Amino acid sequence: MPVLAIKLAYRNLVGAGLRTWLNVSVLSFAFVVIIFHNGLIDGWNQQARRDTIAWEYGFGHLLNKAYDPYDPFSLQDGHGILQTKMRQRLIPVLIQQGTLYPGGRMVPVLLKGIETDQEILKLPTKLFLKTDADIPALIGKRMARALKLKKGDRVLLRWRDKNATFDAANITIIGIFNNNVPTVDNGQIWIPIEKLWEMTGLSGHATLFIATNDYVHVPIPGWHFKDHDTLLAVLDNMIAMKKVGGSIIYFLLLALALLAIFDTQVLSVFRRQREIGTYIALGMTRLQVVALFSMEGAMNSLLATLVGSLYGIPLLFYFAKIGIGMPATADDMGISIAERIFPVYGAGLILGTIALVVISATIVSFLPAKKIAKMDPADALKGKIQ
Amino acid sequence: MKIISVENVVKCFPVGDGKFTALDHISLDFFTGEFAGLVGPSGSGKTTLLNIIGSLDKPSKGKAQVAGKDIEALTHKQAAQLRNHSIGFIFQVFNLLPVYTVFENVEFALLLQKKPWHERKKAVMDALEWVGLENMADKKISKLSGGESQRVAIARAMVKRPRIMLADEPSANLDAKNTHSIMETMKTLNQEFKTTFLFSTHDEKVMQYLDRIIHLEDGKVVKDEIITSRKEDF
Ligand SMILES: Nc1ncnc2c1ncn2[C@@H]1O[C@H](COP(=O)(O)OP(=O)(O)OP(=O)(O)O)[C@@H](O)[C@H]1O
Ligand SMILES: [Mg+2]
Repeated sequence: MPVLAIKLAYRNLVGAGLRTWLNVSVLSFAFVVIIFHNGLIDGWNQQARRDTIAWEYGFGHLLNKAYDPYDPFSLQDGHGILQTKMRQRLIPVLIQQGTLYPGGRMVPVLLKGIETDQEILKLPTKLFLKTDADIPALIGKRMARALKLKKGDRVLLRWRDKNATFDAANITIIGIFNNNVPTVDNGQIWIPIEKLWEMTGLSGHATLFIATNDYVHVPIPGWHFKDHDTLLAVLDNMIAMKKVGGSIIYFLLLALALLAIFDTQVLSVFRRQREIGTYIALGMTRLQVVALFSMEGAMNSLLATLVGSLYGIPLLFYFAKIGIGMPATADDMGISIAERIFPVYGAGLILGTIALVVISATIVSFLPAKKIAKMDPADALKGKIQ
Repeated sequence: MKIISVENVVKCFPVGDGKFTALDHISLDFFTGEFAGLVGPSGSGKTTLLNIIGSLDKPSKGKAQVAGKDIEALTHKQAAQLRNHSIGFIFQVFNLLPVYTVFENVEFALLLQKKPWHERKKAVMDALEWVGLENMADKKISKLSGGESQRVAIARAMVKRPRIMLADEPSANLDAKNTHSIMETMKTLNQEFKTTFLFSTHDEKVMQYLDRIIHLEDGKVVKDEIITSRKEDF
């Protein structure tokens, strides 16, 4: 029977013409949009993870226990000297507060001291080796834009040393790095860690260490380690929220398509009474007719899969190849976001979407068709059921 | 051989608070090869009786035995089997499946019987030949005239070689020429395959062909007349 039902359902559906193709178009559109949207978010997530690891997280962070990344006041005491065999496999970063005076303005900044010969982060710290500026500094493109600073500019910086005594000097912007990670850019000034030690008198101190790939963590008193996954969990959560937000649109689209199928089904169960009676007169059981009508509705989703892949596959591949340009305002979200995001479509996403569409289309087709089981075939043949 | 036996059948329909008796203690027997018809005014119960014999409906009271099966005791599935194998239906409004071709319409019952393709093809082409439409197999139903449509319906009902054909006012939508033509076709099939035909009709032209005419009035048999002497077959 299933083979027969599929065959008959296909004949009926294609025979029904325009209405079928209308339903199929809307459904296939919902399909492609769902896959595209999720693919975009997944692509963004992957890019954000990649970039954040490359620019900020490395292979994990070892943080001074007194330092809380969400509390700038903890910077004052949240640092120390680390004694461990693993020290060679850790890149120290010392973070201090300071104030910058670009063009007469007063801007609070984070001074981040980092080793000049590190290779774990993409920050172009090698540039420090090629300069003879007294206090060389690197800033990101957002910071440069916000403060209208260019390479070669000298700006007055004020900071406090370990005895809380104010000090001031000019720093020289020796480079502006392009990046997708606002959290290493906004409000930050990167300088060689030896220089910062000298400026603050905190020689050998670090607020946190960035782990290299062969770092193996053993508990160290006064410090705690956050691995990749812990660090990325925050990012994952934020992106998951974006996913839910965007889903509303495509669930509406899907609901619209399902409503159209439901409507078609209700109408056909009503309009095709004589046909239903004829099927029964020809020897179909009512359940076979219910199955046939449900199959017709469900087949909308199979046709939609087919039609959707006809235009969807080239379209989705095209976008996966050239990427989607992100508006500049997207940069303010505090999550890494590239100028172009390349959607990725996983097998899970595609199969999951097909399953979602097929199952929901089958359900909305079955509900009206269930009525057929209660029909009196003699009345159906007269076409007089209300 | 007795193929249809109706015994004291009563059929009531609920109307408003009460009920309406459409068939009132009907008893009739039909034998293999009969070419019989139910006649009577509108509302006399012809369609209702055909539906019960066709296992599309069940009697409220009484017994109906069709091709060896007790209609009132059949499950949905058994009734479907009976219709699929033993009963062919012809309707006033043809009731062809509009999205199918002529061939596909005729093929339908055989698909349900799960007959293999080569058997189906041969049976369908034979049936189309009986009704003179062998050249129209691939036509769409919407392109057919009324006479052609009713011929397709006859082929569809006959293709499975049923023991019983039930035809409810088959000529009501046809002109005189087409009526005579389909009646002749059915008469030929009746004689060739010994298929029992039971009609319901108002149409004098149809009655001309019948061997037995049963008059119904208000759900009762008022007259049961044998027209020609085909008694040797019964
Ligand atoms: N499902 C039903 N519910 C209520 N009454 C019904 C139903 N089916 C038939 N009837 C009634 O039963 C009576 C017999 O109907 P039936 O259709 O058998 O008549 P008929 O002899 O075929 O008439 P016609 O020549 O007009 O086709 C009619 O009065 C009809 O209104
Ligand atoms: Mg009638």
